[in-house]
Amino acid sequence: MASFPSSEWLSNFMEKLNADEQYARIAKNWEGDLLFVIDPEENLTNSAYLYLDLWHGKCRQVEIRKDIGEAPAFILRSGYTNFMEILSGKLDPMQAMMTRKLNVKGNMLVMMRNVPTVLDFVRCAREISQ
Amino acid sequence: MQPILKVDLNTGEFSEMPIPVEWQKDYIGGAGLAARILFDYLNIDLDPLGPDSPLLFLNGPLSGTFGPAVGRYVICGRSPLTGLWAESNCGGYWGAELRRTGVDGIFVTGKSKTPVSLILNDRNFELLPSEEFWGMDTYDYQREILSRVKCGGRALSIGLGGERQIGYSSILADHGRVAGRAGLGAIMGSKKLKGILVKGNGFPPIARFEEFDVIRSRTNRALKNDPMTAVLTELGSAGAADYLDYLGEQPKKYFSAGVLDGSEKISGASISETMLTGKKSCHGCVIACGRVVSVDGNKMKGPEYETLVGFGPNVGLTDPKFASRMGDLCDRYGIDTITMSAGIGFVIRMRELGKLNLDDPLFQRAEWGSEDFVEECIHQTIQQTGLGKYLAMGTYRFAKQFRLEDEVVQVNGMDMAFHDPRGSSGMSIVYATSPRGACHNQSDYFMADIGHVDPSIGMEFYDRHAGAEKVKNVIIHQDYRSIFNALVMCYFANVDPESIKDLLNSVTGFDQTVPELLQAGERIWNLKRMINFKLGFNISTEILPKAVLTPYSDGGSSGYELPFEEMMAKYYEFRGWDPQTGFPSELKLQMLGLARLDSS
Repeated sequence: MASFPSSEWLSNFMEKLNADEQYARIAKNWEGDLLFVIDPEENLTNSAYLYLDLWHGKCRQVEIRKDIGEAPAFILRSGYTNFMEILSGKLDPMQAMMTRKLNVKGNMLVMMRNVPTVLDFVRCAREISQ
Repeated sequence: MQPILKVDLNTGEFSEMPIPVEWQKDYIGGAGLAARILFDYLNIDLDPLGPDSPLLFLNGPLSGTFGPAVGRYVICGRSPLTGLWAESNCGGYWGAELRRTGVDGIFVTGKSKTPVSLILNDRNFELLPSEEFWGMDTYDYQREILSRVKCGGRALSIGLGGERQIGYSSILADHGRVAGRAGLGAIMGSKKLKGILVKGNGFPPIARFEEFDVIRSRTNRALKNDPMTAVLTELGSAGAADYLDYLGEQPKKYFSAGVLDGSEKISGASISETMLTGKKSCHGCVIACGRVVSVDGNKMKGPEYETLVGFGPNVGLTDPKFASRMGDLCDRYGIDTITMSAGIGFVIRMRELGKLNLDDPLFQRAEWGSEDFVEECIHQTIQQTGLGKYLAMGTYRFAKQFRLEDEVVQVNGMDMAFHDPRGSSGMSIVYATSPRGACHNQSDYFMADIGHVDPSIGMEFYDRHAGAEKVKNVIIHQDYRSIFNALVMCYFANVDPESIKDLLNSVTGFDQTVPELLQAGERIWNLKRMINFKLGFNISTEILPKAVLTPYSDGGSSGYELPFEEMMAKYYEFRGWDPQTGFPSELKLQMLGLARLDSS
């Protein structure tokens, strides 16, 4: 199993998103790219930047970036520990967003409007991480 | 603090009411201080709508200071709806303006022979004959009184609901800011007090202004950057409605259904996408959760979460425009939207189940998803004709006439707010033990159940469907929110306890600690309970209605059964209350400094 955050993990995630029928159905209206910024904690010594271009239930592109670069629609930023808690199922991603554990930069309206998409997106991430 | 103005409507006399400094420390202000003041006045023989019934408008120590979300005040008395403790706090600008007159509260007793308006223009007080305003809706009154008196300022008033003493009448200020629940508007109506206009030119007293100003700026900046603020600013109080719906926490069809087609339209996001034209804030608030919407070309206040659900999924509807119109109608009439919509939902549900059959043409039209039926119910309630005669009694009293009280989703006579405890188990304890009935404004624990917990005051996060293990957490949250209701600070303000303590100390000049404030919260919670015992409360009614103890068969909380009895047993134990009577133990009363009150 690929470790998080790594290019191998990101490739696996893209593959999963593009193969998952449930995700394709639930996220069919989603339009917007996003960037995970994972701040160093525990064994992670440098910030990691994972970019995903998500469009109508598919993942069109992924990329490991050196920094934030060109601003995507959403930037989701937190420490490594919180990301791992989300991936392990200990922390609900909506809760994390609303309680500052996962900082969101972008249109909250879109995020709140697409709760099922957000949760199913995280389900896919969990399934390749556990 | 500044004095409280005492007004006797029997005689038209004004006087000032001194407040001991110890009370300001022990009960903070707002609803806490109001409970201490009214403890001496409220008793079981007092008719809530009689001339002796007191009505207290009170600010908190932070009200109107431009601190974080503190442009609020509270109104307290004995509820005509429940017969128990009543408090209802309200945003807008009226409370801040009241403080600028040089008084922090208004204590009204007596009854005027003819309609009057109370005018406070700085320290000049007057009772203005108001026959010509009697019969006006709340919006017209606010406009007309300002036009007549010409001193500027802010007005609050009752509408037809309060004039006709309907038990769930509200009080409105600042064009759509509502003290909604518990029927305090009916007390104003019984006193023939149509409204209160305040105009002041002073500034609230702040003991250590420079210190306060630094903390105020810091906390307002932090609040502005809080993610929940972003949700509330962008989407209003219904910002989390999509998530709550997903969790099965948003009730449908009078708490009988877990899902409803089209419920995705019932959300702050939907309002923003389809009808939002502007935003409104209360005095000095950086959140600005208030909505301004356009409905069929008419500009009006947008519905907050409760109104949106009450006149939406609760009655089988999913049109935010319709919910906005019904909210506006209730505001103009001056009646509480939660109670009104709950009563209508109850009628539809009872007809669906065949448990109620009235020989009434409107009743025969009671069905889910009928806009005409809902709107006609509101009009008839105000007219107190037909089905409206029953609805005007309040759902519990209405149901009791037909021996259907077990079917009402209520506690202690107050209809449940639209946060289903099956989606947030902590709310089961909150509803059962709230001093004013099944309300969400003594503790919004549903937010704790989705992660809003503060470890610095001993709270931990528990799953939203956890049981007795979270009871201590609920107690901490209730005590903490009692501080908010005393300050009076909006629950939407995500401000940390240390900052609250610093803000309060810099304003009062005291040097209280966070544990002392939490103890004050606990003291206030217990005092309100003691008041309820004085008013005839006993624990036989401290139960949940059977509707919410029945698991949903669908939706985000399907199959979940509340372990209510187990949770309540723990609750009494942790609170230090007698398991047989529910009364605070002698030791608890001594610890909180309430033993002397008990013996008196």
